[in-house]
Amino acid sequence: MNYLDCFRVLARHRTDQIVVTSAGNSSQAWWAATRDSEASFYLDASMSLSTMFASGLALARPELKIWAFMGDGAFCMNPGMLMVERRMNLPNLTHFLVSNQAYGATSNAALPNVGENDYPAIARAMGLERVFEFRTLEALEHDFATLMAANVAGHTFVVLEVEPFSDAEQKLDQPPFDGPELKYRFGRHIEGRSDCDIFGYRV
Amino acid sequence: MNDKQSEIGKRIADELAACGVRLVASLPDNWLTGVINAIDGDARFVHIPVNREESAIGLCSGAYMGAMGSAALMGASGFMTVIYAITKINYTYEIPLFLMLTLRGGVGDHHKHHVSNSLYLRPLLEAINMSYRVIDEPGDIGSISRCYQHTRTFCRPMAVVFTRDLLRGHA
Repeated sequence: MNYLDCFRVLARHRTDQIVVTSAGNSSQAWWAATRDSEASFYLDASMSLSTMFASGLALARPELKIWAFMGDGAFCMNPGMLMVERRMNLPNLTHFLVSNQAYGATSNAALPNVGENDYPAIARAMGLERVFEFRTLEALEHDFATLMAANVAGHTFVVLEVEPFSDAEQKLDQPPFDGPELKYRFGRHIEGRSDCDIFGYRV
Repeated sequence: MNDKQSEIGKRIADELAACGVRLVASLPDNWLTGVINAIDGDARFVHIPVNREESAIGLCSGAYMGAMGSAALMGASGFMTVIYAITKINYTYEIPLFLMLTLRGGVGDHHKHHVSNSLYLRPLLEAINMSYRVIDEPGDIGSISRCYQHTRTFCRPMAVVFTRDLLRGHA
């Protein structure tokens, strides 16, 4: 399925979820689909850490539902993250592995062992139980309610098989924020949603 | 592990709890056994053993954005692997991070393979302008709270670095 169309479907079904994106294409696609500047943290160039970041946030704020996007390139750098996620088994975290079969952020450079990597099987082998895989927009639309229902029972891992960005899509805008601005915009949103104190002072 | 190691671990845990740390993400180092055991058995903490040191950086950074106090505990060798994660996440977004490390390669370390840490740990900390404080005696464990608060005040990472003598109960 088309990467951008897939994210547009997710954006349309999103209600109040907090989002953490990974390097490159997922940040571009989510920014293109939502222009969200408060409830999404664009963790650019984090090289495999978006779901660990999201896990820390989900642990800290169990009342919030967190979606974390990660490309398959980032996943291949740190697949052991699933062991940590499984141990934490946070019911408010959904890990979306966006499989475009390439290092999308670096002009679709080749991914090792592409074609043989079976991400749902890897996840199940690490003990994850709520594992989903979507290859078409129709299936994603059809089963989205089931996917989110599963989210209330435990940690959820979702593989989205998408096409790599086209040359034109690679030119999509990156989220424009300086790091500290994004931190404060996002943090103030979390404070407002959860009545917590992140920065030590409120404005 | 001797009683003094356990006592040091307990004192460090008490200090962490006193400054509001709830999440501790760790990877092991033999010197840290007393600290890890103390934290793992202490209901004041959520202890998450992680798969690699970078994962600890991600977890603690995310916890900060959810208003949860946290600390990353690791050996010097593990720290040497996380420079990109720290500079990319904690420096770019100015997210505070509190680290606890071992002074591998310091005087008293009898493992020859830690010569690289002896040569490069402190120069590396200084190269990325990262504040650190060496804690080598029990009387200085109280500075953990001040160092933790420093990360929150200046929105930067800081490390406390434990010596072998402290962690082995010889100090």
